[in-house]
Amino acid sequence: MSDAIVISGLTKVYKETRALDGIDLAVPEGSVYGFLGPNGAGKTTTLRILTGLAAPTSGTATVFGRDVVSATNEVRADIGFLPDVPGFYPWMTAEEFLRFSGRLFGINGGVLEQRVAALLDLAGLTGVSTRIGGFSRGMKQRLGVAQALINAPKLLMLDEPTSALDPIGRKEVLDMIGSLAGRTTVFFSTHILSDVERVCDTVAILHKGRVVTQAPIEELKERYGAQKIVLEVTDRADEIAAALAAAEWVASLERTASGAIVLTVSDIAPARTAIPALVVERGVGLKRMDAGEISLEEVFVDLVGGEA
Amino acid sequence: MRGFGAFMRKEFAEIVRTWRIWVLPGIVLFFAITGPVIAEFTPELLKSVATGQPGVVFEFPEPSYVDSYLQWTKNLAQIVTFAVIIIFGGIVSGERRSGTAILVLTKPVTRPAFVVAKFVSQAVMLAVTVVVGAVITWGITAAIFGEAPFAPLAEATGAWLVFGVMFLAVMTLLSVLVNSQAGAAGTGLAVFLVLSILTMWGPALDYSPAGLVNMPTDLVLGQAADTLWPLVTGVLLGAGALVGAAFGFRKAEL
Repeated sequence: MSDAIVISGLTKVYKETRALDGIDLAVPEGSVYGFLGPNGAGKTTTLRILTGLAAPTSGTATVFGRDVVSATNEVRADIGFLPDVPGFYPWMTAEEFLRFSGRLFGINGGVLEQRVAALLDLAGLTGVSTRIGGFSRGMKQRLGVAQALINAPKLLMLDEPTSALDPIGRKEVLDMIGSLAGRTTVFFSTHILSDVERVCDTVAILHKGRVVTQAPIEELKERYGAQKIVLEVTDRADEIAAALAAAEWVASLERTASGAIVLTVSDIAPARTAIPALVVERGVGLKRMDAGEISLEEVFVDLVGGEA
Repeated sequence: MRGFGAFMRKEFAEIVRTWRIWVLPGIVLFFAITGPVIAEFTPELLKSVATGQPGVVFEFPEPSYVDSYLQWTKNLAQIVTFAVIIIFGGIVSGERRSGTAILVLTKPVTRPAFVVAKFVSQAVMLAVTVVVGAVITWGITAAIFGEAPFAPLAEATGAWLVFGVMFLAVMTLLSVLVNSQAGAAGTGLAVFLVLSILTMWGPALDYSPAGLVNMPTDLVLGQAADTLWPLVTGVLLGAGALVGAAFGFRKAEL
């Protein structure tokens, strides 16, 4: 599979602030890619460079093989973009704005009318004749996603599309994004972990202008989940927990309400042999020894040091 | 200039469907209607004030179409010029601040097309408004004074239109450079002040756009000397400002 976005050594410096510090990123074509990071990590700056709204200080970024600095209009013809706070003309209706957006791409006639009707339906705005100035935040955000789809983009870029929405508005926008999976590449910046877990298949975590990790979500959970072991024994659990806590490869140890021992280990190899040996040595039965389930939130907090 | 036509269509729709259709046209048409009436009644008003002064005799010439046309050119040179400066101080920055520029410019619309479409649409509105105002002034002047030659009014209005459109281009540039309507308008007023001061210096009056400041009035009075250089330099300044605006906006980070 080829990459929709390739970013290499991208740096952006604003006076004294280094917003992006040499990021490298590859977004596979067809993926729903979560670009996750705390506020101020550099997500919006990255999107502004990809859409040609800002120029990089150094490094390169390509969209479908085209440089975003030298081939700005060609890149824009292939993308749909929703900024974090979309600005609409308040005197237009949703239908008029979609028609205007389509014409900016050179789409006219029957094709434009078909797309406008389909996107109004997707955004749940069919028959809404109120001017955009009277729209709720959720309606504006849904219209924002719809206008970003008017050119049937090969790549849809969304900057914090759910950050200021109430739970219902958030669900509606996430449902819209989820419905696009497999139809277009979606690059979706957010600081809301549950949104990424819900709709994305791949994630990059950005922190202080640097990409700290990028991988398919399942692989990421597996990678970090492998460091977590859940252990249940038939007897003398306290004694075994105390012995494990003393091992140098145990980073942390917790007990669950049911009495299970949850270990986070710094080195999985000795743990796999030493734990069963310890249980057998004490003549205790082993009920369960599993790799622990890890949430994206735990991975994120672990990587960015709880600064989200 | 990709996206020029579609964006300009939006600009015209915005003029017709928002406050823009009321403010500048309202100002121009108000003064187009009241100018001839004020010209007719000003001597009468002054006479009624003067009769209260014992031992003082005032002689007022009979008002004519010239007074009516002078009202029109004076209003264009002052009030309408100030309105152009204030209203168009946000011609580009308004879209940047509201975020609408981002939604437009992340589509395949070039930034020069964005700037030039805004300028052209507002220039068309200004020209149509001022021409309609001039025709109204001419009609009312003819009705009140019986005599209203069209040529001096057309020449004076044409000369101001060159100045007005030049200033619109200057305001477009300032709105690109200063991301605040008040800041750009303040700078625009300073530019107007400098041009007005330059009218006191002969060479600037003859060979620079400063000559356009008083040209409409001089044309009505038949006192305009050489109009060519101020018109040519005015057009050049306007074109330069527009090119500067398009280039400056191309480089701007949004």
